[in-house]
Amino acid sequence: MANPLLEVKDLSVSYGDVRALTGVSLEVEEGTIVALVGSNGAGKSTLLKAIAGLKQAGSGQVLFEGEDITAVSTKHHVDRGIVLVPEGRRLFQTLTVLENLRLGAYLPKARTTFEESLERVFGLFPVLKERANGKAGLLSGGEQQMLAIGRAVMAHPKVVMIDEASLGLSPILTRRIFELIVALNQQGTTVLLVEQNIHMALNVCHKAYVMKTGHIMMSGTGEELLANPDVRKAYVGERGSKLV
Amino acid sequence: MTFIQVVINGLLLGSMYGIAAAGLSLIFGTMRIIFLAQGTVIVFFAFVTYWLFVKAHIDPYICLLIVVPFAFLVGLGLFYALFRKAAALEDKNVSLLLAVGLMYLIENSILKVWSASPRGLDISYSGISLVGGGLRVSVLRLILLVLALVSAFVVYMFLKKTRLGTAVRAASEDMEATTLQGINSVWVCAISFAIGIGLAGVAGVGMATVYSFDYQFGFSFAIKALVALALGGLGNVFGALAGGLILGIIENLTAFYVSISWIEAVSYGVFILVLIFLPQGLFGRRGVVKKV
Repeated sequence: MANPLLEVKDLSVSYGDVRALTGVSLEVEEGTIVALVGSNGAGKSTLLKAIAGLKQAGSGQVLFEGEDITAVSTKHHVDRGIVLVPEGRRLFQTLTVLENLRLGAYLPKARTTFEESLERVFGLFPVLKERANGKAGLLSGGEQQMLAIGRAVMAHPKVVMIDEASLGLSPILTRRIFELIVALNQQGTTVLLVEQNIHMALNVCHKAYVMKTGHIMMSGTGEELLANPDVRKAYVGERGSKLV
Repeated sequence: MTFIQVVINGLLLGSMYGIAAAGLSLIFGTMRIIFLAQGTVIVFFAFVTYWLFVKAHIDPYICLLIVVPFAFLVGLGLFYALFRKAAALEDKNVSLLLAVGLMYLIENSILKVWSASPRGLDISYSGISLVGGGLRVSVLRLILLVLALVSAFVVYMFLKKTRLGTAVRAASEDMEATTLQGINSVWVCAISFAIGIGLAGVAGVGMATVYSFDYQFGFSFAIKALVALALGGLGNVFGALAGGLILGIIENLTAFYVSISWIEAVSYGVFILVLIFLPQGLFGRRGVVKKV
């Protein structure tokens, strides 16, 4: 089998003396949705930041298309096609929707596909087209999440990493955002998700990893993990099933 | 009529504060510090203008073409040499202390090179004034106001209309999110710092044309610019400029109707009142102050 698009090998990351990730390995195949689930403080966000080049790895490797990108800058990650949608969306609130999208396509390579990307974003999220000249800070929570994902799509990425897409959103909006993430994936973009709404994440993903205190505890397809009694007991709960 | 004359003079005086405050505002946006060396940097460029005028007989307004690009390059150099590492730190005190150190370094270098005696340019057309309707406006000071307006406009257009300018605005809001777009945020900080120093270049030429200045003039000038910035509000170039103009008017009215010796007391009094009752300034955005 060919190399996975994105591969993390034995990655360890520390914040000062505190170990956040210990020997994490995972693989993301091209064209799939992969979910990272686990409780708060498990190291999911740190893992995404380390993959994005925002957090320096202590040891281990991140390979993209077979190439070691562990030590290169975030700029090169974006240029190669790995983009992070950070937790809390982190939009530029005082800038317009269109300015936010323009900044998503800042690098020369992304600029060449600007019109095409913009059409794609407006196709996925028509509301952004209506609000193009409004300030990003005035969008609703759901619209802001759409803009955050749209801004990442503007970079013409191969992999979009999304940290907590459902944060602060109602169950209905969460489902809507997940439908859009699936649509994005069906257009050919690989997705790596970190998600607190585990039931939702396991339902849409092709493969999932369960993290706990900086380690990968188990992995499998969404169905496998949903059927796993330990996972159900620890993370999904009975209420989770009502959401879907 | 006297009142209008006093206000106009104040407006013209305030344009200097305005340019300096606009520079402070830009630098604050990305570095999150009040660049206390700004005034001393302005004095340095005033000395450079003086030197070009006296040694090479270059008209001060022609000097702009030399001093402003030079100032911009000095800004880039200073950023990469001094502030690059410090700007990335969570603790902004490091940058602030560096700025204070830089201020003393420049001040004492000026003292060594040009001595302590005050300087001023003897410009052939410095006496010319526009007279009309009972008002009298010094041409040199009027040019200074025009310079301030043009500088603010150019910076505004850069921030609003260019890709890099948009990135500067983004970086003043969220540095990490800017980095995540693949934008080299160090370069963006360097550019906004360099533009801030470029504005100090404009102000330096302006200072040379209308003031008598010495090596110690800078610090109090930086504080005046800070007052102007507080008046206008952070995160808005035109706000900073307007703050400068208002401060100039306040100072001139005080000098004329109260006493020259009350100028400092009144302007710092206004500063404190603004900070207490209107911390976002007259034209600033509320969010900017809250975030800091």
